Amino acid sequence: MSERTRNIASVAVIAVMAVALLLLTSTQPATSDRVEQIGTRLKCPVCQGESIANSPSQMAEDMMDLVSERVSSGVPDDQIIDELLSSYTGAVLLDPPASGNTLVLWVAPVVALGVGIAVILWWRRHPGQKADEATSPGKSRTRLVIGGVVLVLAFAGIVVVAANSLQDRPAAAAGAADIDEQDLSEVSDETMEAVIAANAEDPQVNGMRLALAERYFDGGDYRSAFPHYLVVAEDPNATGAEAITALVRLGWMAYDGNGEVETATRLIDEALAIDPGSSVARYVRARVLWCGAGETDQAIETFEELLADPELAAETRTQIEEDLEMANDGGECP
Amino acid sequence: MTGRVLRWAGLAVVGVTVVLAVVLASRFGSDPGLVDSPLIGRPAPEFTLAGLDGSEGASLSDLRGDIVVVNFFASWCLECRDEHDDLVAASESFADQDVTFVQVAYQEAAAESLSYLAEAGASSTTRYLADPGSRTAIAYGVFGIPETFFIDPEGTVVGKIIGEADALILGATIDSIRNGEQPGQQITGDTQQRPDA
Repeated sequence: MSERTRNIASVAVIAVMAVALLLLTSTQPATSDRVEQIGTRLKCPVCQGESIANSPSQMAEDMMDLVSERVSSGVPDDQIIDELLSSYTGAVLLDPPASGNTLVLWVAPVVALGVGIAVILWWRRHPGQKADEATSPGKSRTRLVIGGVVLVLAFAGIVVVAANSLQDRPAAAAGAADIDEQDLSEVSDETMEAVIAANAEDPQVNGMRLALAERYFDGGDYRSAFPHYLVVAEDPNATGAEAITALVRLGWMAYDGNGEVETATRLIDEALAIDPGSSVARYVRARVLWCGAGETDQAIETFEELLADPELAAETRTQIEEDLEMANDGGECP
Repeated sequence: MTGRVLRWAGLAVVGVTVVLAVVLASRFGSDPGLVDSPLIGRPAPEFTLAGLDGSEGASLSDLRGDIVVVNFFASWCLECRDEHDDLVAASESFADQDVTFVQVAYQEAAAESLSYLAEAGASSTTRYLADPGSRTAIAYGVFGIPETFFIDPEGTVVGKIIGEADALILGATIDSIRNGEQPGQQITGDTQQRPDA
């Protein structure tokens, strides 16, 4: 067999293989029916690489019904496919589009085929190369080693890319355990109410519950604040600090909202039973007695004791100093 | 000379093969359901659906002016069950704030959905709708459930949650829409297909 004949035979073999490959990967519809034809082009979104025409899933069946309805209405094929593309993007196409980052899937095999043919032709025209290699075993070995290293690196690259792509879906959504870590300054009252209602049994939601109650309290909305403080006050899993805050606020609201001095002091005493040194509880108790029962002297005494504490919070100190001045002047509580 | 040409040609073949393999490998583990929804920033697909109990149901155009939260759910979906209480809480919390929650049964007979809602507890402020033939699910490009879409008062899709939503995420998304922002797509966890899909 001449060299020319061998070249032609090589190219013919490659061409036959290429055509066979194209035929194998082709997704030409089995029938000429338009619905089937469109169905074989569309990928079932809930299946693994199946067309909606071939998938037995309910979703594929529903999509085929939609296609059938559109075909019956005289809608052109491209418009039907565009309609689904507008909802699902190219993910609904069985064949990747020959554009964007999937263009390489169409181009690469053609390039590889062309390079392969060129190499074979070149080799056929330079038969001496084999002899060169035979007389240079060292070079061949070096080439083999380099080739091996390139293949190993390529394989490693593929593994890395594949592994990264498997991490696309993040972990589950933030749950109740993360509630305490939320910055609540940007969160609306309605969102906080929803989170609290959905996690009512979770003691970790008490932080958010108190934050919301404080918002209502500061805005003078005692009616909205009351149920949240009450839940925290009655929750055996609430921390001491949470319970004290809730009881003291409930006490103040009982006095300020309903004028119930006795109820107010009882609630605040419950807070003091948890922590007798609680400056907030002592301050509010003294204020209730001063404002509600006219016990100015006892209030002055408590205010002075509290101001003697060097660790008293600056904001509370300022407030007590103002109250003390007013009480000493014989004024009524504000 | 011949050897050098062959080497370059061989490297070219290896290079093309590697590029091809990397592209294929990059798609290997990706979940097709995680594509960015093309609906975000576009007018929401219109729907008029009957209630699960056969009642009048709802039409999206009638809800114009409200923020509409459209959630696709089913009794067979575990993530949907996990997020149910949060959806109910959010729906009721935002009910008087011009926010309407709509839950569309996905590939399930109305009787099964109703039975599930009777067991889990339905919200009095949520519209529970049937979607025969999955037309609305297809129009919204649903890959699996739960998926939740957020439509602003002008009728534009501005947000989507893929996976389980909790009250904090639902509320924060609504808050950002009320602030005139477009929250976009958030992926919070897995979605499910019908077991026999």
